[in-house]
Amino acid sequence: MASRSSALARPPAFRGVGRSILLTLPMALWSLLMFTPSFRQAGRNQHIGAMAVILFMTGLFFLMMRTGETYRWRRIFFVALGFLFPVGFIAALVAERGTMSIPISRMVSGDTPFCFMVTPSLILPAAFAHTIIFPGSILPTASNPHSIAAMIGIWFAMTLVLGKAWCSYACFFGGIEEGFAAIPKRRRLHRFITRFGAQLRLIPWAILVFVVLVSAAIFEPVYCMWLCPFKAVTEFPAVRNLETAIQFGVFIALFVGLVVVLPFLTKKRTQCGFFCPFGAFQSLFNKINLFEIRFDREKCVDCALCQTSCPTVALSKESIREGKTLLNCMKCGACVDACKKDAAVWHLKGTPIAAKPERARLLFLYGAWAMATMFGGSVLANGVHTLIGFLPWK
Amino acid sequence: MATLALSASAGEALVLGLATGPVCLATCGPVVVPWMMVQPQGLRGHSRQLILFLAARLAGYLVFACAVWLLGSAIPHVNRSEWTGRSWVMGGIQVLLAAALVVYAAGWPHRRCVVAKTTGNLVQIGEASAPRRSGAMALGFLTGINLCPPFLVAGVRAAQLAHLSAALLFFFCFFAGTAVWFFPFLSLGFLKRTPAVVTVARMVAVLLACWYGFSGISILVERTFHG
Repeated sequence: MASRSSALARPPAFRGVGRSILLTLPMALWSLLMFTPSFRQAGRNQHIGAMAVILFMTGLFFLMMRTGETYRWRRIFFVALGFLFPVGFIAALVAERGTMSIPISRMVSGDTPFCFMVTPSLILPAAFAHTIIFPGSILPTASNPHSIAAMIGIWFAMTLVLGKAWCSYACFFGGIEEGFAAIPKRRRLHRFITRFGAQLRLIPWAILVFVVLVSAAIFEPVYCMWLCPFKAVTEFPAVRNLETAIQFGVFIALFVGLVVVLPFLTKKRTQCGFFCPFGAFQSLFNKINLFEIRFDREKCVDCALCQTSCPTVALSKESIREGKTLLNCMKCGACVDACKKDAAVWHLKGTPIAAKPERARLLFLYGAWAMATMFGGSVLANGVHTLIGFLPWK
Repeated sequence: MATLALSASAGEALVLGLATGPVCLATCGPVVVPWMMVQPQGLRGHSRQLILFLAARLAGYLVFACAVWLLGSAIPHVNRSEWTGRSWVMGGIQVLLAAALVVYAAGWPHRRCVVAKTTGNLVQIGEASAPRRSGAMALGFLTGINLCPPFLVAGVRAAQLAHLSAALLFFFCFFAGTAVWFFPFLSLGFLKRTPAVVTVARMVAVLLACWYGFSGISILVERTFHG
């Protein structure tokens, strides 16, 4: 038994130190480039935050190169992003308004920062009525630099290149539940997930269709107003009457249920896999995206380790038999790292399967990590800088 | 002179329907889309369902035209903007719509015809189109009498007309103008039908039922307690 496990175990170093440093160098330069504006700012805390994030992102990328593993190191970044985003965001809200709730007057004046989650709901009203049904500003303003046009532009460019990898390298929210999913050792409700996985996977599509249709019918971003679990840790309409009280209750219930309790019990990203309509929308871009995970059927022994490890239930027995993931794969790399036979591989569409999987992985990771650094880096730095501000010896 | 007035009124209704059609599309879309998604693939079946839906919707329009004309002639001096019965009607219709969607999502009364269970995990879509006429008609009628903003505008105008026939003609032309906007829904006929698509459509229907139910009950509760 011992000899079998040692034979199956990965070598401790996948790549030499020199070669790993060389491969990390472009990403180190990219991180420096991304944080150059931070160094122009006067505050010492900002400098510390920026420096910490450069080291953090570069260090994690180095470890990805050195060990050949993706999921473990990506998860560290992603969980940090998930927990530091609310820290910086809530601190900024409280400093500016004294509360996390947003009054209607502020929403009407377009001071709401744009959230990419609302993107699918904007399409029909924009097409039919030339109206953006989100209370933000199309172009940047002095009070709100995160304009709708800029955010949608960045999201669209990234999504074209990386497909649904957005959900595991750029989304501010997914890291929170991934963090809770990482805590327990034991996986509970496994039988339930296996039994009903096929149906559960369809719920985000149903919510997507519902949200898009109703948003167009009532000219309101229904997901933001009623269904977003992350309102509980960002901003929400001020509770003024029964309706806003119900909204607030829904946000809290969804957050506790889908982002805290269920991930803790199942070790899955339940909100991402079984609820998020934006994730379903994002899945469509996997169709036109170059990168994917494939399974080498000659090496596969149907042990289902990949299926068990997938945090969003994006694998089924049928899909593995066909050598593919399902459409909702977010390219986190968990299945590739879990596979002891190297049957799960990174793949570039149009090339033979398992011909040069490491090259496909590298190409993907450069894009994905550049996006993570660009999109999440400033969020991380902001969170670190906020935490330093809380320290007694600051 | 009367013919000229009638033609002008019909033209006005047609233009009103064409102009406000996108709002009708958005208002009826949440009901039509899941319904069409659950039908078998193909343009012919979808056309039949859409015609049934629109016919029932027209019936709803004409019923409403009669009601508003009678109301308009019975109480000519009432300030219609202050007519408080609107909330009751709106709330009631939305609750009925929610109930209809739940019934449809549950597959009743044609469950055995629509989905035949083959194995433990797989479902196969059977010969489904023929018996599902009542669903299209019920949903069409309920969306037909649902008080959306363009519908109320048309209602106010129809209530001011001299004859019932003129009010009915007005609503018929208004319907014709809005119906043009429904043809894009036929494109759903080209969507590939899989068990997943049908399941998603049913889930959407349940979510919409919750939405309409909540909205309708909120209106009724507010009307009851706050007048």
